[in-house]
Amino acid sequence: MWIEKIVGDLGDKKRYREYRERVRQLPDGYREAALALERYLLHLGPSNDGSSLIAMVTDLADLLEQSVAAGTPLRDVVGADPVEFAEEFMQNYGGGSWIRKERDRLATAIDRAEAEERR
Amino acid sequence: MGKQATEMLKGTLEGIVLALLSGRAAYGYEITAWLRDQGFTDIAEGTIYALLIRAEQRGLVDVEKVPSEKGPPRKVYTLNARGQEYLNEFWRTWSFLSERLEQLREGGR
Repeated sequence: MWIEKIVGDLGDKKRYREYRERVRQLPDGYREAALALERYLLHLGPSNDGSSLIAMVTDLADLLEQSVAAGTPLRDVVGADPVEFAEEFMQNYGGGSWIRKERDRLATAIDRAEAEERR
Repeated sequence: MGKQATEMLKGTLEGIVLALLSGRAAYGYEITAWLRDQGFTDIAEGTIYALLIRAEQRGLVDVEKVPSEKGPPRKVYTLNARGQEYLNEFWRTWSFLSERLEQLREGGR
């Protein structure tokens, strides 16, 4: 599976499998939400930092399990704009992804351009 | 709660949550429930959760894991000294902002 290319460490693999199992145990709607969020988070989130990635999905599992226990409807968990929630959530975890690299590249390019301007 | 209120609330939500935690310890769900009671009906549980994760990572809150009857253990948050400092700064910024806006409304500069 493609995740194993990213999550290289054996301990991380084990913890990732534990996360998958927790998701499997969720009620239907929450499980679907978990998979959808996971897809988004893994595409745009920390792709080169296994422990950051594991921390992220583990926190996601915590949130969904707590929400099931508290009877919080799914829409109240992710809000009107799930992308906004996912983005905000993702910001808590380090590591690079293609989008973060592009953001860094833009910031660096503008820094350089500014230095040129002052010369 | 309208779209504009939601947008405006975003920048202040962290301060609101920390202010709430300065009064008493609470877990995520309690905080969301309190905000909803106060009329902040569009606040998502996930938004508060992400905010609390960040506050924890920045060392603004202390966290204690408390077992719950159902579901995983709850993380109970309290504001610590660093968080209190941050909150004081938030209130100074808020005073500045609200005074300036009030002046604008009255047509002054």
